[in-house]
Amino acid sequence: MRHHNALGSRVADAVTTLLSLLWLSPLIFAILLSFRPPNEPITNGNIFFGSTITLDNYRAAWSVAPWLTHYLNSIIFVVGVLIVQLVTVTMAGYAFARMRFRGRDTLLLIILLQLMIPSGVLIVQNFATIRTLNLFDTHIALMLPYWGSAFGLLLMRQTFREIPFELEEAARIDGASLWQVLRHVYIPLSIPAYTAFALVSISSHWNEFLWPFIVTRSESVRPLTVGLSKLVATTDVGALYNQLMAGTLLVIAPLVILFMFFQRRFIESFARSGLK
Amino acid sequence: MRNSSLASIERIKAAANAAQTGKPINLVPYLLVAPTLILVSLFTIYPAVGSVVSSLYRPPRNVRDPSTFVGLENYFDLFDPTHYIGSTFLQVISNTIIFALATVVVSVPLALGFALLLNRRIKRIGVYRFSLFYPALLPMIGAASIWAFLFADPLGLVNTILRTFGSRGQNWIGDPNIALFTVTTVNIWKQAGFYTIFYLAGLQNIPRDLYEAAELDGAGECQKLLYLTIPLLRRTTLFILIVSFTFGFQTVEHLQALGQGGPGDRSNLLLYFIFQSIGERRNWGYINAMTVVLVLVLMVFTVTNFLYFERRRDDETS
Repeated sequence: MRHHNALGSRVADAVTTLLSLLWLSPLIFAILLSFRPPNEPITNGNIFFGSTITLDNYRAAWSVAPWLTHYLNSIIFVVGVLIVQLVTVTMAGYAFARMRFRGRDTLLLIILLQLMIPSGVLIVQNFATIRTLNLFDTHIALMLPYWGSAFGLLLMRQTFREIPFELEEAARIDGASLWQVLRHVYIPLSIPAYTAFALVSISSHWNEFLWPFIVTRSESVRPLTVGLSKLVATTDVGALYNQLMAGTLLVIAPLVILFMFFQRRFIESFARSGLK
Repeated sequence: MRNSSLASIERIKAAANAAQTGKPINLVPYLLVAPTLILVSLFTIYPAVGSVVSSLYRPPRNVRDPSTFVGLENYFDLFDPTHYIGSTFLQVISNTIIFALATVVVSVPLALGFALLLNRRIKRIGVYRFSLFYPALLPMIGAASIWAFLFADPLGLVNTILRTFGSRGQNWIGDPNIALFTVTTVNIWKQAGFYTIFYLAGLQNIPRDLYEAAELDGAGECQKLLYLTIPLLRRTTLFILIVSFTFGFQTVEHLQALGQGGPGDRSNLLLYFIFQSIGERRNWGYINAMTVVLVLVLMVFTVTNFLYFERRRDDETS
């Protein structure tokens, strides 16, 4: 019986290793290809390595688009979304968690419609709205639809509800204002929930493509994903896959490296994102 | 402790009632909720209603003329296989359903498998976890551009490997009979790790002593899996099924790097088709009608999901 279990777990280990390698192989081959000389596709010689290791593809990919601008735009986009979200979800989360007011349940239901109709689906009408508001091709156009977050609101409402009411009451007796109660009671006790929300928000917007592609035209506001799509388009013509892999790796590196170091944090955060 | 908290909540409630009947309404909660409410109204409710309204009109031939009200005619055209828009729409929606279903059918069992493999005492767990989960963190267009190389013909990895076995390989992106399979594969690879997270969370909620009891009764690994683990994960599975199916209807960004829906819309997906229409001068009545169809499909699933799980959670807390 013991012997059988040991064998079973050895088989499971082997399967895990095999599947992990299979899942990892696209990334490994992308990295290997990005260091091959530009004129050596994998059909030329060894499938893993070229005749030498070179940074030429990175130089070439770097010259196709203003990547530093795209990096900066992506950072402005995700940070700009997150900061405003943190304010709006805290405010609304507190109101729905701890205040009684007429129409509360109806208002909550209206806001929850956002979870049922993802705004990504309404791109045609929302694009028209951005045009009407005269915001086309601005940083604000990228961020605006995401400043209110029903998911974040629900998460904060749930978190705030679990905080003992006595703490707020004690602060109130000491004469604390609403802002002070939030600042000294609710916010410090909800840091794990804020972290989870921040990681989910940052990674989803960092990776977003369709909406930024539609509401921007200039490279001066377009984020990384849109820059990458330009590189993809040039590859279509010339089949420069070595260069495309270099460019792709430049784009995906920040989140992938961050994930390497904070695996647990990310996974816990994403697990919470499911509990809508 | 508990009593005093209840008492104080009662006191607050009483104060709130007094405020409602006597003094003017407390504006603070409305001010707190207002920003979120305005944004949701502007970018969810207004466009949703706008899509429904626009879907009932036919745009004029001349820009200066008014649109004509045509009732549900746009919808009839969409579902009419002999109509030019109908034939495309039916192709695209059937692609979308196949794409979503195939992703669910393959990636959800895979996710369960991953979770069972990772939920053991195992060396180098970090490496395995990274390998299986990193695709979920990539931008869809980044994932697709890596796969554009893997599936390239003839310079790609897959065909290069196939050739060593004597096969000519396939035109994975350009062959109308294979392109949909190709874009689905990328999505399965990307999503499986994401759903694994929910299964891992579900597995950790199963009490250990259930397994100990089963072992005392002489249950083997297979029996424990079939009669204990899988039934106990039923709720998690249902949740993942709904989420992954609705995701399937919204995940389209990889098409940008993998054939852009072609050839001839044979691998196109509904949201990507709608997105393409913004650049091209397509009939806005049709595009809005398609948006409404997409919204309705998503709502059916998310409302079911929400009602089912929200009710369950209320049961648990009360």
